[in-house]
Amino acid sequence: MRRGGDLAFYLWTAVGLILFPFIFRLPIFNGYSGLGTQILIVGIGAIGFNLLLGYAGQLSYGHAAFFGLGAYGAGLSVLKLFPQAHSFGLAVLFGVGVAVVAAFIIGSLVVRLYGIYFALVTVAFAQMVYFIIFQWRSLTNGDDGLQSIGTPPLNFGFAHVDLTQTLPALALGPFGDLGEIKLWYIFAAVTAFLVLAFVRTLVRSQFGEVLDAIRENEERSIFVGFDPRRYKLAAFVISGALCGLSGTLRALYDGSTAIDMLTVEQSGAFVIYTVVGGVGTLFGPLVGTGVIMWLENIVSAKTGAWRLIEGLIFVAVIVFLPNGIIGSFLKKAKFDLFATFRGKK
Amino acid sequence: MTAQGLLQALLNGFILGLIYVAIAIGLTIIFGMLRLVNFSHGAFYAIGAYVGLVVTQKLGFGAGLIAGPIAVALVAIVFDRLLLRFFYDKEPTSQILLTFGLAVIAEETLRLIFGGTTQQYPLPDWLQGSIALAGLQYPAYRIYMAIAIVAIVICVWLFISRTNYGLIVRAGVRDRTMVQLLGGNVRAASTMIFAIGAGLAGLVGVAASPIYSIDPQTGFKFLIPSFVVVVIGGLGSFWGAVAGGLIVGELSAVTTLIYPGAADVIIYVAMAAVLLVRPQGLFGESEVIKG
Repeated sequence: MRRGGDLAFYLWTAVGLILFPFIFRLPIFNGYSGLGTQILIVGIGAIGFNLLLGYAGQLSYGHAAFFGLGAYGAGLSVLKLFPQAHSFGLAVLFGVGVAVVAAFIIGSLVVRLYGIYFALVTVAFAQMVYFIIFQWRSLTNGDDGLQSIGTPPLNFGFAHVDLTQTLPALALGPFGDLGEIKLWYIFAAVTAFLVLAFVRTLVRSQFGEVLDAIRENEERSIFVGFDPRRYKLAAFVISGALCGLSGTLRALYDGSTAIDMLTVEQSGAFVIYTVVGGVGTLFGPLVGTGVIMWLENIVSAKTGAWRLIEGLIFVAVIVFLPNGIIGSFLKKAKFDLFATFRGKK
Repeated sequence: MTAQGLLQALLNGFILGLIYVAIAIGLTIIFGMLRLVNFSHGAFYAIGAYVGLVVTQKLGFGAGLIAGPIAVALVAIVFDRLLLRFFYDKEPTSQILLTFGLAVIAEETLRLIFGGTTQQYPLPDWLQGSIALAGLQYPAYRIYMAIAIVAIVICVWLFISRTNYGLIVRAGVRDRTMVQLLGGNVRAASTMIFAIGAGLAGLVGVAASPIYSIDPQTGFKFLIPSFVVVVIGGLGSFWGAVAGGLIVGELSAVTTLIYPGAADVIIYVAMAAVLLVRPQGLFGESEVIKG
């Protein structure tokens, strides 16, 4: 078990999340205020995906299933199941719950598989989920997706908070205006902070050590008395739950769901974000999501060749930066400060 | 469901199955020989289809059939020498990632050149028309193509089982290092196998496109089912790919007849079922599972 560096981690993560939307608004970055929120929301899914790829060593090409089920779960909770409650918390709970159940069922079946077999069977199950959602028109609207979900107010008991409201207006020069930032950003940042802290604690715990051992040498981990399948299943379910959380928030943020959330392309997007940022690093997936979504926003406004550029970046990272942006950076950085940003080692 | 409808579906399934067989054989010999999980195989199909289209429009379909596979084989050799050979010994996960990335690049390049719209393939007069078959009018071209694919499958099989290159290939599947120690040029054979497997996908890309039409995403549309075929049959197994292809083709065609909505998903159900019961696939050897 690894200890230490807690204060630095919490402090720098908090500072980073607070400064992010302002730095992001600098003219050279050319972002719009909602993009920061979207990056954090999708990044949570990438963090979950990375738990499976980076720590358990299993490449899934089917995590769109959990992302999409989270989104459709949240949407259906608001529109059809509990319309009277109109509850944000209930939508998130229900969406994540659906994703967890699916991850448990699929995970129990695939934990015995490896490499290409694992990748393909996760694709297969994701395609089945896509098919069910697509065909069940009466419930899901098929390829039209769920519309006008809206964002139900967040109920704290003493107050109902509407996340679509903005902060009070306050000009900040080149950093934009405080009034451009919606409460959504604060919610997404707090959630991302909690997710990062949770995953960090998890991979530094004994559980994380066992995942390391299984990834490096599964047979040996059996010899010392662990049951790899149970650990891999646990990693799979937590990973699916985080993708589900990401999907629920995405649906509530957009106020709609799209069938595209369940496609192989969406699964591939999680792969690309994680690999570009750094497989097996704590912040890599979030950074990768940020870099790719930000570049997409800029490049796709100018040219239709964005997907080509994305592919070139992806291959360049695999060939020249096999540890991703964060991973390569950490390898060179010798300072203790940065060591605290690593998940482990 | 009429008997004729069923016969038609079975014939369609057989044709689709043969196309899968031809794509999957390339995939499976590449895996067997190079231990490379090639996610850009679908892109090879698409490149072949588009090159074939351009050449067909200029010089006719026969020229397209020759140009498509040659162009793809050249692209494959460049991929192999430039990038893939550094990944032969890496775990399958990084091979999947790299070849997936290359496939995205190929697909998007095709989209930039040819646009995103669906293109129809012109078929010369001498290949049009239909043949009467057990009381059914069936497009003649499909029959010719089926015969051609069967011939090609037999040729590839003879190449692997009867030639010296094939010997190196088969031995290399068993023990790559030992073959090298014994003086077999595994490297040259690897590149050649990769070019042949890719060229085969390119050839099918030209041959099948008059039936299924093409757009830049065609590659991915054929890639995943082809992997399903290979996995059902057993990764690395030649006859497994043949059996898997025919099973998957018939399964989708018959499902299309009974419940069209499920046609796309039934093959995944079948693959998941096969893998969960028999992880090495129908004809596979259990030693490759952990690969």
